[in-house]
Amino acid sequence: MRFVSSGAGIVLGGLFVYAGVQKHLAPYEFAEAILAYQLLPVGLVGVVAATLSWIEIVSGISLILGCLLPSRRFSNPFPLDGILRRSGLLLILGQSLLFIAVLLITLVRGLKIDCGCGLFFQRQVGLESILEDALLLGVAGWLYWRECRTGGREEESLVLV
Amino acid sequence: MMTSISWRRELAWTISLLGLAVILGIMFHWSLVQASLRGNLTALLDQKRQERREVQFQGVKTLDLAQAYQIWQEKRALFVDARKAEEYQELHVQGAVNVAPETWEELSASELMKMDRMREMVVYCSQESCDDALKLAKKLRAAGFTRVLAFTGGFRAWDEAGYPADTSR
Repeated sequence: MRFVSSGAGIVLGGLFVYAGVQKHLAPYEFAEAILAYQLLPVGLVGVVAATLSWIEIVSGISLILGCLLPSRRFSNPFPLDGILRRSGLLLILGQSLLFIAVLLITLVRGLKIDCGCGLFFQRQVGLESILEDALLLGVAGWLYWRECRTGGREEESLVLV
Repeated sequence: MMTSISWRRELAWTISLLGLAVILGIMFHWSLVQASLRGNLTALLDQKRQERREVQFQGVKTLDLAQAYQIWQEKRALFVDARKAEEYQELHVQGAVNVAPETWEELSASELMKMDRMREMVVYCSQESCDDALKLAKKLRAAGFTRVLAFTGGFRAWDEAGYPADTSR
Protein backbone atom coordinates (compact mmCIF):
# COMPACT_ATOMS: atom_id res chain seq x y z
CA MET A 1 0.00 0.00 0.00
CA ARG A 2 2.89 2.36 0.73
CA PHE A 3 4.00 2.13 -2.92
CA VAL A 4 0.48 2.99 -4.08
CA SER A 5 0.31 6.04 -1.81
CA SER A 6 3.85 7.15 -2.71
CA GLY A 7 3.05 6.73 -6.41
CA ALA A 8 -0.23 8.65 -6.02
CA GLY A 9 1.64 11.40 -4.14
CA ILE A 10 4.24 11.74 -6.89
CA VAL A 11 1.59 11.84 -9.64
CA LEU A 12 -0.51 14.37 -7.70
CA GLY A 13 2.55 16.52 -6.95
CA GLY A 14 3.64 16.26 -10.60
CA LEU A 15 0.23 17.45 -11.80
CA PHE A 16 0.43 20.50 -9.55
CA VAL A 17 3.99 21.29 -10.67
CA TYR A 18 2.94 20.93 -14.31
CA ALA A 19 -0.15 23.15 -13.87
CA GLY A 20 1.92 25.72 -11.97
CA VAL A 21 4.67 25.82 -14.60
CA GLN A 22 2.09 26.34 -17.37
CA LYS A 23 0.71 29.34 -15.48
CA HIS A 24 4.17 30.65 -14.61
CA LEU A 25 5.16 30.59 -18.29
CA ALA A 26 2.01 32.46 -19.36
CA PRO A 27 1.30 34.87 -16.47
CA TYR A 28 -0.59 37.43 -18.54
CA GLU A 29 -2.92 34.82 -20.05
CA PHE A 30 -3.49 33.44 -16.56
CA ALA A 31 -4.28 36.94 -15.26
CA GLU A 32 -6.82 37.30 -18.09
CA ALA A 33 -8.39 33.98 -17.08
CA ILE A 34 -8.67 35.15 -13.43
CA LEU A 35 -10.09 38.50 -14.56
CA ALA A 36 -12.81 36.69 -16.53
CA TYR A 37 -14.12 35.08 -13.32
CA GLN A 38 -15.08 38.61 -12.10
CA LEU A 39 -14.57 37.57 -8.48
CA LEU A 40 -11.57 39.66 -7.44
CA PRO A 41 -10.89 43.40 -7.52
CA VAL A 42 -8.56 44.23 -10.43
CA GLY A 43 -5.91 45.34 -7.95
CA LEU A 44 -5.59 41.79 -6.63
CA VAL A 45 -5.80 39.88 -9.93
CA GLY A 46 -2.12 40.43 -10.78
CA VAL A 47 -0.98 39.41 -7.29
CA VAL A 48 -3.03 36.19 -7.42
CA ALA A 49 -1.88 35.40 -10.98
CA ALA A 50 1.75 35.90 -9.95
CA THR A 51 1.62 33.87 -6.74
CA LEU A 52 -0.88 31.06 -7.41
CA SER A 53 1.38 29.45 -10.00
CA TRP A 54 4.20 29.30 -7.45
CA ILE A 55 1.92 27.98 -4.70
CA GLU A 56 1.09 25.09 -7.06
CA ILE A 57 4.75 24.52 -7.91
CA VAL A 58 5.97 24.67 -4.30
CA SER A 59 3.19 22.41 -2.97
CA GLY A 60 3.80 19.90 -5.76
CA ILE A 61 7.57 19.85 -5.21
CA SER A 62 7.06 19.51 -1.45
CA LEU A 63 4.80 16.48 -1.93
CA ILE A 64 7.13 14.85 -4.47
CA LEU A 65 10.18 15.39 -2.24
CA GLY A 66 8.26 14.02 0.73
CA CYS A 67 7.51 10.86 -1.23
CA LEU A 68 11.07 10.44 -2.52
CA LEU A 69 13.21 11.44 0.47
CA PRO A 70 14.50 8.59 2.63
CA SER A 71 12.68 8.34 5.94
CA ARG A 72 14.76 9.22 9.04
CA ARG A 73 12.04 8.74 11.62
CA PHE A 74 14.07 6.36 13.80
CA SER A 75 16.55 9.13 14.52
CA ASN A 76 14.05 12.01 14.36
CA PRO A 77 10.51 12.06 15.81
CA PHE A 78 9.45 14.62 13.15
CA PRO A 79 11.07 13.38 9.92
CA LEU A 80 11.47 15.85 7.08
CA ASP A 81 9.86 13.55 4.52
CA GLY A 82 6.62 13.31 6.51
CA ILE A 83 6.50 17.05 7.17
CA LEU A 84 7.09 17.83 3.49
CA ARG A 85 4.38 15.37 2.41
CA ARG A 86 1.79 16.68 4.86
CA SER A 87 2.59 20.36 4.21
CA GLY A 88 2.37 19.80 0.45
CA LEU A 89 -0.90 17.92 0.90
CA LEU A 90 -2.38 20.65 3.11
CA LEU A 91 -1.57 23.27 0.46
CA ILE A 92 -3.01 21.05 -2.29
CA LEU A 93 -6.18 20.41 -0.25
CA GLY A 94 -6.61 24.15 0.31
CA GLN A 95 -6.09 24.96 -3.37
CA SER A 96 -8.43 22.20 -4.57
CA LEU A 97 -11.19 23.39 -2.21
CA LEU A 98 -10.68 26.97 -3.39
CA PHE A 99 -10.77 25.95 -7.08
CA ILE A 100 -13.96 23.91 -6.59
CA ALA A 101 -15.67 26.78 -4.75
CA VAL A 102 -14.69 29.26 -7.48
CA LEU A 103 -15.82 26.91 -10.27
CA LEU A 104 -19.16 26.22 -8.54
CA ILE A 105 -19.82 29.95 -8.04
CA THR A 106 -18.96 30.58 -11.71
CA LEU A 107 -21.17 27.71 -12.90
CA VAL A 108 -24.10 29.02 -10.85
CA ARG A 109 -23.55 32.51 -12.25
CA GLY A 110 -23.72 31.06 -15.76
CA LEU A 111 -20.41 32.53 -16.98
CA LYS A 112 -19.06 30.72 -20.04
CA ILE A 113 -15.35 31.29 -19.63
CA ASP A 114 -12.12 29.35 -19.99
CA CYS A 115 -11.35 27.67 -16.67
CA GLY A 116 -7.63 28.62 -16.77
CA CYS A 117 -6.88 25.35 -15.01
CA GLY A 118 -3.46 24.98 -16.62
CA LEU A 119 -3.60 21.22 -17.18
CA PHE A 120 -3.45 19.43 -20.50
CA PHE A 121 -6.12 21.12 -22.59
CA GLN A 122 -8.17 24.32 -22.58
CA ARG A 123 -11.73 23.93 -21.44
CA GLN A 124 -14.61 25.98 -20.14
CA VAL A 125 -15.85 26.13 -16.58
CA GLY A 126 -18.28 23.24 -16.20
CA LEU A 127 -18.95 19.96 -14.49
CA GLU A 128 -15.86 18.38 -16.11
CA SER A 129 -13.47 20.88 -14.53
CA ILE A 130 -15.25 20.58 -11.16
CA LEU A 131 -15.02 16.76 -11.27
CA GLU A 132 -11.34 17.00 -12.19
CA ASP A 133 -10.66 19.16 -9.11
CA ALA A 134 -12.88 16.92 -6.98
CA LEU A 135 -10.73 13.95 -8.06
CA LEU A 136 -7.54 15.80 -7.07
CA LEU A 137 -9.19 16.75 -3.76
CA GLY A 138 -10.18 13.12 -3.20
CA VAL A 139 -6.65 11.79 -3.81
CA ALA A 140 -5.09 14.51 -1.61
CA GLY A 141 -7.70 13.86 1.10
CA TRP A 142 -7.06 10.12 1.01
CA LEU A 143 -3.27 10.61 1.25
CA TYR A 144 -3.62 13.07 4.13
CA TRP A 145 -6.05 10.77 5.94
CA ARG A 146 -3.50 7.93 5.63
CA GLU A 147 -0.79 10.22 6.97
CA CYS A 148 -2.92 11.20 10.00
CA ARG A 149 -4.08 7.62 10.61
CA THR A 150 -0.65 6.07 10.55
CA GLY A 151 1.37 9.10 11.60
CA GLY A 152 3.60 8.25 8.64
CA ARG A 153 4.57 4.90 10.20
CA GLU A 154 3.62 2.92 7.09
CA GLU A 155 4.96 5.63 4.86
CA GLU A 156 8.47 4.53 4.29
CA SER A 157 9.86 6.43 1.35
CA LEU A 158 9.69 5.09 -2.17
CA VAL A 159 13.47 5.10 -2.34
CA LEU A 160 14.58 2.86 0.49
CA VAL A 161 18.04 3.22 1.99
CA MET B 1 -1.92 9.85 16.02
CA MET B 2 -0.24 13.18 15.59
CA THR B 3 0.55 15.22 18.69
CA SER B 4 -0.18 18.93 19.06
CA ILE B 5 3.57 19.60 18.67
CA SER B 6 3.68 17.87 15.28
CA TRP B 7 0.49 19.73 14.26
CA ARG B 8 2.10 23.06 15.10
CA ARG B 9 5.28 22.04 13.30
CA GLU B 10 3.29 20.96 10.29
CA LEU B 11 1.31 24.20 10.23
CA ALA B 12 4.51 26.24 10.54
CA TRP B 13 6.01 24.35 7.58
CA THR B 14 2.85 24.85 5.52
CA ILE B 15 2.81 28.60 6.22
CA SER B 16 6.55 28.82 5.44
CA LEU B 17 6.06 27.04 2.10
CA LEU B 18 3.14 29.34 1.32
CA GLY B 19 5.29 32.37 2.16
CA LEU B 20 8.13 31.07 -0.01
CA ALA B 21 5.72 30.57 -2.93
CA VAL B 22 4.28 34.08 -2.55
CA ILE B 23 7.79 35.63 -2.46
CA LEU B 24 8.89 33.66 -5.54
CA GLY B 25 5.70 34.58 -7.40
CA ILE B 26 6.08 38.28 -6.62
CA MET B 27 9.79 38.20 -7.53
CA PHE B 28 9.28 36.47 -10.89
CA HIS B 29 6.23 38.50 -11.92
CA TRP B 30 6.95 41.87 -10.32
CA SER B 31 5.78 43.86 -13.38
CA LEU B 32 2.40 42.09 -13.26
CA VAL B 33 2.01 42.68 -9.51
CA GLN B 34 3.07 46.32 -9.84
CA ALA B 35 0.66 47.02 -12.72
CA SER B 36 -2.14 45.37 -10.79
CA LEU B 37 -1.53 47.37 -7.60
CA ARG B 38 -1.26 50.61 -9.59
CA GLY B 39 -4.54 49.92 -11.41
CA ASN B 40 -2.85 49.50 -14.81
CA LEU B 41 -3.53 45.78 -15.19
CA THR B 42 -6.09 45.98 -17.99
CA ALA B 43 -3.80 48.19 -20.09
CA LEU B 44 -0.84 45.86 -19.48
CA LEU B 45 -2.88 42.77 -20.41
CA ASP B 46 -4.12 44.46 -23.59
CA GLN B 47 -0.56 45.37 -24.53
CA LYS B 48 0.81 41.88 -23.80
CA ARG B 49 -2.07 40.22 -25.69
CA GLN B 50 -1.42 42.47 -28.68
CA GLU B 51 2.32 41.70 -28.62
CA ARG B 52 1.68 37.94 -28.38
CA ARG B 53 -0.88 38.00 -31.20
CA GLU B 54 1.41 39.97 -33.49
CA VAL B 55 3.92 37.13 -33.26
CA GLN B 56 1.54 34.17 -33.06
CA PHE B 57 -0.94 35.32 -35.72
CA GLN B 58 1.33 37.27 -38.00
CA GLY B 59 -0.43 38.22 -41.23
CA VAL B 60 -4.01 37.76 -39.97
CA LYS B 61 -5.96 40.98 -40.54
CA THR B 62 -8.25 42.17 -37.77
CA LEU B 63 -11.43 44.26 -37.59
CA ASP B 64 -13.05 46.36 -34.89
CA LEU B 65 -16.77 46.38 -34.11
CA ALA B 66 -17.65 49.31 -36.40
CA GLN B 67 -15.83 47.76 -39.38
CA ALA B 68 -17.43 44.36 -38.75
CA TYR B 69 -20.90 45.90 -38.56
CA GLN B 70 -20.34 47.85 -41.75
CA ILE B 71 -19.31 44.69 -43.63
CA TRP B 72 -22.34 42.87 -42.19
CA GLN B 73 -24.69 45.67 -43.33
CA GLU B 74 -23.20 45.59 -46.82
CA LYS B 75 -23.58 41.76 -46.81
CA ARG B 76 -20.08 41.57 -48.27
CA ALA B 77 -18.75 38.70 -46.22
CA LEU B 78 -19.69 35.39 -44.71
CA PHE B 79 -19.60 35.60 -40.91
CA VAL B 80 -17.99 32.54 -39.34
CA ASP B 81 -18.68 31.79 -35.66
CA ALA B 82 -15.67 30.02 -34.11
CA ARG B 83 -17.36 29.27 -30.78
CA LYS B 84 -18.70 25.97 -29.46
CA ALA B 85 -21.89 24.66 -31.12
CA GLU B 86 -23.97 25.18 -27.96
CA GLU B 87 -22.93 28.85 -27.71
CA TYR B 88 -23.67 29.36 -31.41
CA GLN B 89 -27.09 27.73 -31.04
CA GLU B 90 -27.96 30.00 -28.14
CA LEU B 91 -27.19 33.24 -30.01
CA HIS B 92 -24.98 34.28 -32.93
CA VAL B 93 -24.45 37.07 -35.45
CA GLN B 94 -27.38 36.99 -37.85
CA GLY B 95 -26.47 34.90 -40.90
CA ALA B 96 -23.28 33.46 -39.41
CA VAL B 97 -22.24 29.82 -39.89
CA ASN B 98 -20.65 27.82 -37.10
CA VAL B 99 -17.23 26.20 -37.32
CA ALA B 100 -16.76 25.02 -33.74
CA PRO B 101 -13.22 24.36 -32.41
CA GLU B 102 -13.98 20.64 -31.98
CA THR B 103 -14.52 20.37 -35.77
CA TRP B 104 -11.27 22.09 -36.79
CA GLU B 105 -9.43 18.79 -37.11
CA GLU B 106 -11.75 17.88 -39.98
CA LEU B 107 -11.86 21.36 -41.48
CA SER B 108 -10.80 20.05 -44.90
CA ALA B 109 -14.00 17.98 -45.06
CA SER B 110 -16.31 20.85 -44.07
CA GLU B 111 -18.79 22.65 -46.32
CA LEU B 112 -16.71 25.80 -45.94
CA MET B 113 -13.93 24.27 -48.02
CA LYS B 114 -16.24 24.02 -51.05
CA MET B 115 -16.52 27.81 -51.18
CA ASP B 116 -14.72 30.16 -53.51
CA ARG B 117 -11.31 30.94 -52.05
CA MET B 118 -11.88 34.63 -52.88
CA ARG B 119 -14.98 34.78 -50.67
CA GLU B 120 -14.58 37.39 -47.95
CA MET B 121 -14.97 35.97 -44.46
CA VAL B 122 -15.23 37.54 -41.00
CA VAL B 123 -14.37 35.14 -38.18
CA TYR B 124 -15.30 35.85 -34.57
CA CYS B 125 -15.28 34.04 -31.23
CA SER B 126 -16.73 34.94 -27.83
CA GLN B 127 -14.81 38.01 -26.67
CA GLU B 128 -11.71 40.18 -26.99
CA SER B 129 -9.55 37.85 -24.87
CA CYS B 130 -10.28 34.67 -26.86
CA ASP B 131 -7.89 33.57 -29.60
CA ASP B 132 -10.18 31.17 -31.46
CA ALA B 133 -11.17 33.69 -34.16
CA LEU B 134 -7.50 34.33 -34.92
CA LYS B 135 -6.67 30.61 -34.84
CA LEU B 136 -9.48 29.76 -37.27
CA ALA B 137 -8.64 32.73 -39.51
CA LYS B 138 -5.05 31.46 -39.66
CA LYS B 139 -6.27 27.97 -40.57
CA LEU B 140 -8.57 29.34 -43.29
CA ARG B 141 -5.73 31.40 -44.74
CA ALA B 142 -3.58 28.29 -44.78
CA ALA B 143 -6.41 26.50 -46.61
CA GLY B 144 -6.20 29.10 -49.37
CA PHE B 145 -8.84 31.67 -48.40
CA THR B 146 -7.21 35.01 -49.12
CA ARG B 147 -9.80 37.44 -47.72
CA VAL B 148 -10.19 36.29 -44.14
CA LEU B 149 -10.61 38.87 -41.38
CA ALA B 150 -10.78 38.31 -37.63
CA PHE B 151 -13.27 40.38 -35.64
CA THR B 152 -11.45 40.45 -32.32
CA GLY B 153 -14.20 42.10 -30.25
CA GLY B 154 -16.12 38.86 -30.56
CA PHE B 155 -19.79 38.10 -30.05
CA ARG B 156 -19.85 39.87 -26.68
CA ALA B 157 -19.05 43.24 -28.32
CA TRP B 158 -21.62 42.56 -31.07
CA ASP B 159 -24.32 41.60 -28.57
CA GLU B 160 -23.57 44.50 -26.22
CA ALA B 161 -23.91 46.91 -29.16
CA GLY B 162 -27.38 45.49 -29.78
CA TYR B 163 -26.60 44.39 -33.35
CA PRO B 164 -28.78 41.73 -35.04
CA ALA B 165 -28.41 38.23 -33.60
CA ASP B 166 -30.16 34.93 -34.25
CA THR B 167 -30.77 31.82 -32.25
CA SER B 168 -30.81 28.27 -33.61
CA ARG B 169 -32.98 26.89 -30.80
